[in-house]
Amino acid sequence: MMRVKLKHLGLELPLLPTTTVGSFPKPQYLLDARRKFDSGQLRTGELRQLEEKATREWVSAQEEIGLDVLVDGEMYRGDMATYFANNLDGFRISGLVRSYGNRYYRKPIVAGEVKWRGPITVDWWRFAQGLTNKPVKGMVTGPYTMMDWSFNEYYPSRRDACIALAKVLHEEVRALAKAGAKIIQVDEPAISARPEELPEFAIEAMQVVTKGVDAYFINHICYGAFEFIYPRMLELPVDNFDLEMSNSELDLVELFREHPFTRDLSFGVVDVHSHIVEDTATVKQRIRRALEILKPDQIWIDPDCGLKTRTQEETIGKLRAMVDATKKVRKSLTVKNS
Amino acid sequence: MEIITASTGSYPRIGDRPEQQRYRQAYVKQELGEISEKEFERVQDEVTREVIEEQVKAGLDVVTDGQVRWYDPISHFARKLKGCEINGLLRFFDTNFYFRQPVIKGRLSRREPVMSREFLFAEEVSSRPVKPVVTGPYTLAKLSINRSGEGFQSLVDEFAEFIAQEVSELAGAGAELIQIDEPSILKNPGDFQIFNEAIEKLVAKKGGARLALYTYFGDAVPLYEKLLELPVDVIGFDFTYSPKLASVIADSGCDKDLGLGLIDGRNTRLEKEEEVLDTLELILTVVGSERAYLNPSCGLGDYLPREIAFKKLQNMVKIAEKARGLI
Repeated sequence: MMRVKLKHLGLELPLLPTTTVGSFPKPQYLLDARRKFDSGQLRTGELRQLEEKATREWVSAQEEIGLDVLVDGEMYRGDMATYFANNLDGFRISGLVRSYGNRYYRKPIVAGEVKWRGPITVDWWRFAQGLTNKPVKGMVTGPYTMMDWSFNEYYPSRRDACIALAKVLHEEVRALAKAGAKIIQVDEPAISARPEELPEFAIEAMQVVTKGVDAYFINHICYGAFEFIYPRMLELPVDNFDLEMSNSELDLVELFREHPFTRDLSFGVVDVHSHIVEDTATVKQRIRRALEILKPDQIWIDPDCGLKTRTQEETIGKLRAMVDATKKVRKSLTVKNS
Repeated sequence: MEIITASTGSYPRIGDRPEQQRYRQAYVKQELGEISEKEFERVQDEVTREVIEEQVKAGLDVVTDGQVRWYDPISHFARKLKGCEINGLLRFFDTNFYFRQPVIKGRLSRREPVMSREFLFAEEVSSRPVKPVVTGPYTLAKLSINRSGEGFQSLVDEFAEFIAQEVSELAGAGAELIQIDEPSILKNPGDFQIFNEAIEKLVAKKGGARLALYTYFGDAVPLYEKLLELPVDVIGFDFTYSPKLASVIADSGCDKDLGLGLIDGRNTRLEKEEEVLDTLELILTVVGSERAYLNPSCGLGDYLPREIAFKKLQNMVKIAEKARGLI
């Protein structure tokens, strides 16, 4: 489907390209360093060195596993919304707010007009891309999610806050493309929070983010509730939707039978919330399911979500199973076609 | 007309100051087996006492126990039931808070009472009246996965039986006002008949207590008339989702006591006096009842930092004092 666009961008990807959603687990030495940094015992430069070391390790791990489109692994991020909030004007960070059980986090507060101070993720993208010949995705948290996951003390409505954030993130996306990023992922895990807001302003916000930027856009969505926003979400101006599939028992497949899916789809085939490493046969079966409803050249293969909550071994095990299964299915597809 | 300031439910169990980390630390220690369940309960008792004192200090007329013992508003009840298992995390409505979803496997029966002990403890340590808050049967059923083989209607019936028993015990324990939270009905108006029957079951068991039915996280305007016909004593509304609600109330009147959720329980921004007073004036001139409760739009415990929660309540009390001068 969107192969034409990839080609235009000079990207030659195999059938069923494999990728990951963004985050990887941080190695112990980095977790220790971040703790020291938070309590003032480590300087920014020292932390940065360790973040770079961890990034190098993950880039070479991805190459070794055989993934086709790489990520930087987000070694420098804590929370995906707070990271951007910390680097934009207009934000403050709140006191501790409960997330569930015994989990608490600091939530961004939009306290003034949001403004782009300059590139946030571009240096990291450049660093990671400099380590590999495979394409590395640019990664930003989307405007709807930034709005939904922040307190809004400044803008008169959710819509106003969302559109203002979209304008700011457009600057970031442009800077990524200018630096050479050809694939840019916009993470919108919150997009189904209030389905009625999709036509009201979430689609418009994504248009603002992507407008005039020559890149292949991936929109990562998770946490369910697609039945409420599908097929309307196909109006979002992106090339590829990255959806959680294995964790939702693949019931979206039925939905797509009714309303054909018109874009590329990054199909989540390993569960990031489970410690169990899927075997190749299970993953193969999930890929086959995707092939029942989508054309092979529409499909990308990846995990359901970021892997930062899994251990290093679980992460590598899951990715190996994924790449291994994809290669097998790919082979059988090529044989069939020739 | 009397204006009563009240809490709507939960209150943050931890804060940003080092001494406010006790709950969080005890939770970890209990998980690791370093302290007993009893010791953890003692910490929960202490924190309950603390959050009640904070609400009193903020100037509230009616407080809650802050629900600091609750994992979440759904599984806190469901885990006391036979015939039900507790599943993974799911987003709680459109908030940034997650609850554990019950999976119904068979006929539900209560293993032990949930609310009366919590209420008695709070009542004992509080210098102000305590309002127990209970999640309603419809919302409990709606947010569960039903694998019992029986239909939704019978699941609501079973939850109604369970919650009616809780209500009856709370009334027996001396609760004067019992709040039933039913946020789920707002987005499912088609279920109103089932919902109505469930609420009637609770009303039948309320004894000498007054029942307050609270809705939030949705626009109540489409159901306004029907909600007013429910045989409960107080109806609670979340005005942050209902820009037209105040004028609907002003136009159609209201003979029930109202719970006015005019303070945004999910935003750190402190309300300006005049915003709230304008709406209050509009409503209070038409309602024929003797009482109105001014309260946050929802519980604060899972949405706001502790320091802000306190400031919100303080601000609300200040606004209520102004409003009393106006009427």
